[in-house]
Amino acid sequence: MSGDGCPALPTDHVCWRHDDPAAFEAAARAFLTVGLAAGEELWFVTERDPAGAREWLAAVPGLADALRDGSARVVPLDGTYVDGRVADPAAQVRAYAEATEAALAAGHAGLRVVAEATGLVRTPRQRVAFTRYEHLIDGYMRAHPFSAMCVYDPRELGAAAVAELACLHPAGNVDDVLFRLYAAGRGRTGLAGELDRSARDLLATALERAAPRPVDGRVVFEAGRLRFADHRCLQLLGEYARGLGAVAVLRVLPGVGVARLVDLLGLPGIRVEAAR
Amino acid sequence: MRTGAAAGHRGYFHEAVCYASEEELLAVVVPFLLGGVAAGEPTVVSLGARNAALVRGALPAGCGVTFLPGGDVYARPTAAIRSYREMLAGHVADGARQIRIVGELPPVALGVTWDWWARYESAINHAYDEFPLWSMCAYDTRSTPASVLRDVARTHPRHATPDGRHVPSPGYTEPTTYLRENRPAPPDPLQSTPPVVELAEPTAAQARAAVHAAGGGRLPVDDAEDLVVAVSETVTNALRHGQPPVCLRLWVGPDRLVATVSDGGDGPKDPFAGLLPAGDGAEGGLGLWIAHQSCNHVSAHRGPGGYTLRLTAGNPHFVA
Repeated sequence: MSGDGCPALPTDHVCWRHDDPAAFEAAARAFLTVGLAAGEELWFVTERDPAGAREWLAAVPGLADALRDGSARVVPLDGTYVDGRVADPAAQVRAYAEATEAALAAGHAGLRVVAEATGLVRTPRQRVAFTRYEHLIDGYMRAHPFSAMCVYDPRELGAAAVAELACLHPAGNVDDVLFRLYAAGRGRTGLAGELDRSARDLLATALERAAPRPVDGRVVFEAGRLRFADHRCLQLLGEYARGLGAVAVLRVLPGVGVARLVDLLGLPGIRVEAAR
Repeated sequence: MRTGAAAGHRGYFHEAVCYASEEELLAVVVPFLLGGVAAGEPTVVSLGARNAALVRGALPAGCGVTFLPGGDVYARPTAAIRSYREMLAGHVADGARQIRIVGELPPVALGVTWDWWARYESAINHAYDEFPLWSMCAYDTRSTPASVLRDVARTHPRHATPDGRHVPSPGYTEPTTYLRENRPAPPDPLQSTPPVVELAEPTAAQARAAVHAAGGGRLPVDDAEDLVVAVSETVTNALRHGQPPVCLRLWVGPDRLVATVSDGGDGPKDPFAGLLPAGDGAEGGLGLWIAHQSCNHVSAHRGPGGYTLRLTAGNPHFVA
């Protein structure tokens, strides 16, 4: 499906699986360069040695000047995220919101961050908190000039942990994660990609972490970029909504077989509408 | 209280009517229908246009027999089972003590897709057995292939004859036995050509992408999407419940897409798999049922090399 007429997936929240240093450096430089051209404040949040990180940044064309005048900087991971390294999702979003406001107040067009965040998601408990934060900050990004490339190392975390994180980012290089659950703006939740048996458990986890809430008895999923959904995942969406006393509304493009499957199985708790 | 030949019978009273002339058909069907109406039983005709007109003309006007339109119910076996079960449940909920139906498959169903209708005829002995149904399935012996008539004899416990008898079928075979037999469909001529796609150990996502790529624009989008669903479910089942090696093959014809999904296992153990939604929560059974609902033909083959399901979107009625 081309997704004609449906908004493209947001590009301001990238999940980068860091398993190839050269590819990461190229992607991070490109991401920062876009911000530089747009007049944004730039942060490189990392556990690396600050001097080495500055040196790496300075090698990016145009960034040496930005480093000198303070519009680009290296920020230690510990100085950015919360105590004990278990994120307080709402507090963390507030912190970045304040930083974004400060960047705007300082005359920048916004704030753009490359964050090497592996150190914050090593344990399951950390990931529970951090994935909740990832979805909250995703929503903030849709409405504010804040963007981020979140960088995770699969060699330390394992593929399953990276998938938990990647599916909550609308963009990135983790192509083997079949779906994306993201903030679609105006408080709505987006679902893109493909939902099959192999994605079901991850979808359950993502729903639990993102915790989309009903409005007027409907949990609306903007799914114009959803190419496939099987009965297991549709059942799951319906069960999720019913657990909140609501109905799940899936807004899909015509031609995706979702409506026929819902009708065929008489699935409770889910309704299919045309994407808009 | 049930009436007629099915009086005292519990569950489904399933008869074949193998007739050789219009007179023979009417000799069985007219008293069957009028008896139902007289007993106040829901009485239904689901025949093709020609025989429906014949029967209508032989009945008193406004006699209370319901004529279902144009044989649409027989588009796919699983859809027919679903549709009839809903109708039967509705009549029972309204207090019916017996429901009478005479039906016939469209002639095209007696050709290269007969294997899944044979499975249907067998499976409904189980699928309708919770209802007080007396049905007659009409087959014209002048035009029905002998091999089909042999299956009819094995799948209908009784035959209704033009002289008014209701005789047990000596060759009747219980569905749990019949459905476990290997019943290969004739090979589609496309299968004698190299497949356009051959994927070993595909993920379901890779299989879906292959169907999208092969089918793009050749069939109406809903037909192609239905095949995507069917292939996805079948590959998922093969990976989860089958044995390696799993292989997807695709052929593209002018009016159809044909996919085979094979694995090294024995196939589903449930003899009704595909025809009925698995009621026990067995996930693979539901996927196979969805595949049967989504394609215009599904055939299964068990051989020394394993289990192969063939799925056809578009026109499955090739010339063998």
